[in-house]
This record gives sequence, structure tokens and C-alpha cells, in this order.
Amino acid sequence: MARSTVKVAGKRKPAKKAVIASRKSCGAKGTGLSHYILMDEKAR
Amino acid sequence: MSGAGAPGTAGRRAAPSRGRFVNSGEGETLQPIDVGHRDYLAVVDPDTAFWSLVARDRLADAFGDGPLVRAYRKRREAFRKEMEGLRFGLTPSAVYFNPTERCNLDCAYCYIPATMRSGGEHMPAERLLRALERLRDYFARTVPPGVRPQIVFHGAEPLLNRDAVFAGIEAFGGVFRFGIQTNATLLDDAALSFLTGRGVSIGLSLDAPGRAVADRTRKDWSGQGVHAAVLDAMERLRGYDAWSVICTMTRENAGQLTRMVEFLHRREVPTCLMNVVRCTLPPSREVKPGDAAAARAFLAALDRSFELYQETGRKLVVGNFANVLLAILAPTARRLMCDLSPCGGGRAFFAVTPGGDMFPCSEFIGLPRFNGGNLFRDEVEQVLRSPAFREVTGRNVDAIDPCRRCAIRHYCGSPCPAEAHELNGAMDRPGAFCELYEEQVRYAFRLIADGRQDAFLWDGWDAGTRTTFTAPEA
Repeated sequence: MARSTVKVAGKRKPAKKAVIASRKSCGAKGTGLSHYILMDEKAR
Repeated sequence: MSGAGAPGTAGRRAAPSRGRFVNSGEGETLQPIDVGHRDYLAVVDPDTAFWSLVARDRLADAFGDGPLVRAYRKRREAFRKEMEGLRFGLTPSAVYFNPTERCNLDCAYCYIPATMRSGGEHMPAERLLRALERLRDYFARTVPPGVRPQIVFHGAEPLLNRDAVFAGIEAFGGVFRFGIQTNATLLDDAALSFLTGRGVSIGLSLDAPGRAVADRTRKDWSGQGVHAAVLDAMERLRGYDAWSVICTMTRENAGQLTRMVEFLHRREVPTCLMNVVRCTLPPSREVKPGDAAAARAFLAALDRSFELYQETGRKLVVGNFANVLLAILAPTARRLMCDLSPCGGGRAFFAVTPGGDMFPCSEFIGLPRFNGGNLFRDEVEQVLRSPAFREVTGRNVDAIDPCRRCAIRHYCGSPCPAEAHELNGAMDRPGAFCELYEEQVRYAFRLIADGRQDAFLWDGWDAGTRTTFTAPEA
């Protein structure tokens, strides 16, 4: 999540992170195009 | 930083600098983008598709030698290689297989010329089986053991040649993963039972929730719409895991997209595509929506999909937007290969016609000059190296103006080459839409800033991925 919470004057308010960044990687398996997308049970 | 040189400079004979400074010399290229968020700007390295969201009041920190730049510097070369592999290192693992040229519909925007659809040829069953043998043999040489390549029966309308298609699925079920894209008019109970019983992924097409609009773009040769037949098939597919609906956005239905989301969600469609019409052939240009209008309608539909998820806990994933999110969050996890440059045509997949002719993508089937060879006469590897295929696989967003200056070019890819070539006159031109992709990327970054991205993605989308970057502690 982009925001965490901190206790401020007795109330929990979101603390804005200075930087949000992430990246994930895997083997490339994409085969779809704008005319079709292959769906399977894992894609729900 | 040491004087060893920035990542990526090793081996160069005359590095102009040590890469100590962002945006000069060999330093990192980081471009700020106003994504329309109250608190954050995006900071992107276009070449590696690296991104971060930086608080507006901390933006200057992102360009000095702070934690973010230092962390990115360690990963920059790995990300560059990752993008290079994704963009230039793939070999096909899927085939879009047209078992017939004919279609019982005459949709306004079809990429198959009307003369083919009205009087074209079927591929005989014996020949289709032989084609699948040829493809099996090709993939045995190229895909890793244990990976099942995909065969997607596509069209025209593949169920017009149903016996041949089903014979192929029956004979090669253990070899390939099969899918079929159909207009649903011939998807009777027996066909549906056959396909669902074998786990075939089924795509239907429907452009609007109501008959009046849906039937204007998708109709038979006598002008009769097929809305009712699609709804009937959708009802019978309810509960099946592997199905989706494609809605082609045109000026006819752009105002209906939000209602379409509500309709598809109510009918428990797991995934839809809401793709803007491809303007490759002239008739499709007659229904082209305006770029800005398409963007507004599309984002409103996405907003509605989020509201419905909040209200019900059930997602309708808009697959083409999910793919833009994936292009940002995990570039190699993309499922669709259009919004990438070079696109997937001739690289991740190719298309085969009923005569065995091979094209980089279905979108080129109406353009004879992009015929790269024939499955029955030529080796697939030879066709993939043909000038026709190379013209498509060589289309590079880094050489297209204005895309080459665009910070988000590797989240968009400037689709589509067929459209660029036919509508705008050359491969090194952009496609028909730009703002639509700009706005999607901006929207995606706003979602990430607010931590809402998972609501727009398939459950478990990151299974099998590993984290390669996280924001450093300030």
C-alpha cells in the first residue's frame, strides 16, 4: 500500500511516503493481442 | 560514487562521464511526469521503464545523489537487460489460427476484408491437422520442455469450420493450450460443452449492453444484429473460469462503456477487453472515436469497475488496462503484447490463414505484402526472418517521432504497426491514438499512488514473480 498510518494527536492519519516505487519480474509469457486474451483458472 | 563507471557503461571505449549526475552524461535519465495526483509526481527512466512516485514537495531530492538514485543505480543495468530481453529476445509461443476466411457477420470495423469474409475458403480438417503437426514440430524445437504453446482459433468466425476446429482440439489437446474467439452465434450447447469440457479459453464479442447500440456495429450480412445470441451464450458461460468478452470501442458505443462495465459485472464476466477500434482498414475509420473522448469514456468505465468492486467484492478485470498496470508494475508479466515495442506480432505470436499463409499478426491478414511465407511450404523459422516479418518486428518506438521523446513509451509501445502503416503511412509513425494511452498511464500511476492497483488486476497476478525493486527508506 502506498500509505502507512501514524498516530497524530490521538487519531490515526495516513502518513504520506516520500517515495513509492516497486518492480517485479518474471519470465515473459505474454501472447495476447487486442483481439484476444487467453484466460485460465489462475487468471481470475 | 567510485570511479568505476555507472552500470551499463562497462566495456565502452570512451564513456563521456562517470555517470555521477542524473540527466547528464552517462547518468540516469529520470523524467518527471505530472500524473494528475495531488501529492505525487511520477519519475520515470524511459529506457528501462523504471518508475517511482515522488512526493511533490520532495521532488528535488529525487534528482540528487539520494537514496532513490543510489538504489536505482544498482538495478539500472538489470532493468535495461530485462527490457531488452522482453523487447528483442522473445520467440513465439502462440499462434492465431484462422481456420476459415468466412464470417456470418459483417461488422463495421473488422480487419478481415469483406471479400474474404463473404466468400473465402475453409481450411479442410485434414489440412488443419497437418498444420497443427507442423506447428507442434516447430515449437518442439523452440519452446522449453513442459511448456504448452497456445493455439487460438480466430477469425473471421472459426465456428463456421467447427468440425475441423474440434478435430484439431481433440487430436492436439495434450500438445497445445487452445483458445477460441467467436461471435457466439454458433456456440450452441454441444459446442459449448465440447469447449468447456476441454478447458478451452473462450472469447466472445459484444459492444454494448443494449441491443440498439450493440447491433449497429456487430450484425450479419442482412443487417440483423446478434446481441441476443451473445447474451444467451454469456448466460450459459456463467461460472466457467476461462472466458472473456471483448468490447471494441468505437464512436458508436464510447458513451456506453460505463453501462457496459455494469452489465458485464452483473453477468459475472471475469475479464473483458475494452479495446479502441484498430483503424487499419478504411471501414474501421468510419467509426473511430476521438482520442480525448475515448480516453474520457474509458477512464469513466474504469472508475465504475472500481466502484462495483468496492460494492460487491467481485472484480471485473478490464484486461487491456490491467496490462498497462502490469507494464508499470512488472513489465515482463504483461499478458497482452500490443502495448510494447516492438509489439508481439511476429515475435511472441504469429497468425496463420486457412491457406497456411503466415502473417506477423491477424491485423495484417488483409495486407498481402505482410505475408511472410506459408506454413506448408516454408520452415517457420525462415518465415520469422522474412522481410515481411522483419518490417513489423523492426518497428521500434525509440525511432518514432514523437514517441522517442515520450517518457511513457515503454508502457504504451505506440500501437499498432498495421494501423500506423495503413492509417498514417509508414511503420515509423504512431498509431491512431496517443492521448488514450497517456491518460491510461497517468490513471495507473494515480492508482498506484493511492494503493488501489490490485483492485484492477487479476487475483494472484504476481504469483511467480519476484520483487526486484522497492522504494528505499528515506
